[in-house]
Amino acid sequence: MTHLTRRGAMALLGGAAALPVLGTPALANTKVTVGALAFTSHAASFVAYERGYFAEAGLEVDFKFFQAAQPMAVAIASGDADFGVTAISGGLISLAEKGATKVIGGALSEEKGIDGQKILVSDAAYQAGITTPKLLDGKKFGITQSGSSFHYMGAKMAAAEGIDLNYIPLQKVPAVIGALKSGQIDAWAIVPHIAKPLAGSGAVHIIGDVADYIPDYQVTSVFTSANNAANERAKSAAFLAAFAKGAADFNAALVDKTAGDDAAEEMVKLVHKYVYADRPYDKAKPGIVNGAMRINAGAALNTTSVKDQLDWFIAEGLIKGHITMETLVDPSYVETM
Amino acid sequence: MSDPNAATTPVPFRGGGFKPERIRFVGLAVFLALVAIAEWGTRAGWISNLTLPRPSDVLSTFRDLYDTGLLWKHLIPSLTRLAVGSVLGVTIGIGVGVIIGLFSMVRAGLVPLVAALFPIPKIALLPLFVIWFGIDEGSKYALIALGTFTPTVVATYGAVDNVDRTLIRMGQSFGLSWWSIVRKIVLPGALPGILSGLRISLAIGIILLVAAEMLGAQYGIGAYILEAGSLYDLERLFAGVVILSALGVLTSAVIGWVEKRMLAWRI
Repeated sequence: MTHLTRRGAMALLGGAAALPVLGTPALANTKVTVGALAFTSHAASFVAYERGYFAEAGLEVDFKFFQAAQPMAVAIASGDADFGVTAISGGLISLAEKGATKVIGGALSEEKGIDGQKILVSDAAYQAGITTPKLLDGKKFGITQSGSSFHYMGAKMAAAEGIDLNYIPLQKVPAVIGALKSGQIDAWAIVPHIAKPLAGSGAVHIIGDVADYIPDYQVTSVFTSANNAANERAKSAAFLAAFAKGAADFNAALVDKTAGDDAAEEMVKLVHKYVYADRPYDKAKPGIVNGAMRINAGAALNTTSVKDQLDWFIAEGLIKGHITMETLVDPSYVETM
Repeated sequence: MSDPNAATTPVPFRGGGFKPERIRFVGLAVFLALVAIAEWGTRAGWISNLTLPRPSDVLSTFRDLYDTGLLWKHLIPSLTRLAVGSVLGVTIGIGVGVIIGLFSMVRAGLVPLVAALFPIPKIALLPLFVIWFGIDEGSKYALIALGTFTPTVVATYGAVDNVDRTLIRMGQSFGLSWWSIVRKIVLPGALPGILSGLRISLAIGIILLVAAEMLGAQYGIGAYILEAGSLYDLERLFAGVVILSALGVLTSAVIGWVEKRMLAWRI
């Protein structure tokens, strides 16, 4: 029950944080470039764009699409994009350490009770009797790169179960999927809209939830260049406010399902313009609905989870030991938890 | 014909030049100057730490790598992959190249095939190799072997083609057997070409090392560089790149030494 009350409080706080920003006069059509992946987890930006929330806030938004989180962080550092939403990777932290990027808000979160990221095993491993994560001791766990969110999830799960995993870097998500399907690796963890169709095909099996091991995991965060965070407060705040409005619509339509079936349908159609755009609507819909995870209200940031991730990166020796939360996060924009 | 003026006008010596001379340490000086500029720039601040790492930091990263023993943990798998892969590729390559050079039938059959294999980016085949040879060492050996195979074949049959025909004719007129001609004239005659081809093949092998370690390698110089790149850790990235460069210089020196030993018969 503590969950519900906290969630309610969070929404209120987020709303309250957004209010003064909404009251400020709109910026005169500032051009901003927003980095995005064609994933459901980026829906808040798409909603804010399609429903004109960015325009209302005086932002003229251009999307720049990326294939992975890592290049997005580099694009922000080089000034090719203004805002991005992605997992906190080692690369993002290293760029923050060099004074290039700053995390200013939170987006996707794990939450018990809402379908989150899944732990998958290959069919071969499943047939060999690996039906719970505990049995994965010494097995090959696919990751894109050391220091990716997959590495973090695997390590957290292994620590909780008291087992050791062999992390196999495969660079790209499609490569991990291929290796898992062909049984070259044994296990992986991934967002539900990829996990469920894979499991449906019978080539892999879902054996656990990431939320059981990392409750309240702040999966993705909103980040921008250090310059935007420090010197362009109006622009950054306006972006976050519009993003939060998009997130609220998305949560109401697909996560809490409080907005009714029509709103849900409309939301899926909107998201479909960006996600699985190459598939017909009927085929894309289950993927989008399954992929709906909570996007924090008011773009609130779970600093406890971010701190935990930062500590893990340092403990693994992936980033320099002197990096602190202040280097990575600018907490002045949104509510933190 | 005798012009008295011609005898009195001295003709200056116009020969010389156009000949590479051996000047020591200039290469080293250029290298050191570049490193010094980078060090100065990063210290003074007109090169931001986002653009280039500080050379002294790269050096200390390298020292950490050595002190923690991680250097060998990364270097040994990489050297093994490079050695096994390139020995496979180069031996098969030289064998096939010599056979192409000697038999017209084989040449007609295989040269187009080699030409078709050569331009394929071997990295593109990596996922396929993972399925064929497994995600462990097999796929990495295969990738490096294929990458070194094609340039070796091309260099080898080119070298065999360039063996002086008059020497072969001479051998024939002395009544040497076919096998004797191959052993005593064709192979030694082709060796300079094969060895210079080897320089290119092995450099390609080192390039492919990074590609081979993209999939499923936990340790290795290539894996180390890729990890540093994704963590945006420029010091580690450059430390890895320097190791690869050193590897390139080393293989080139080894081939130079082999050339000196095996081609001593050349005048």
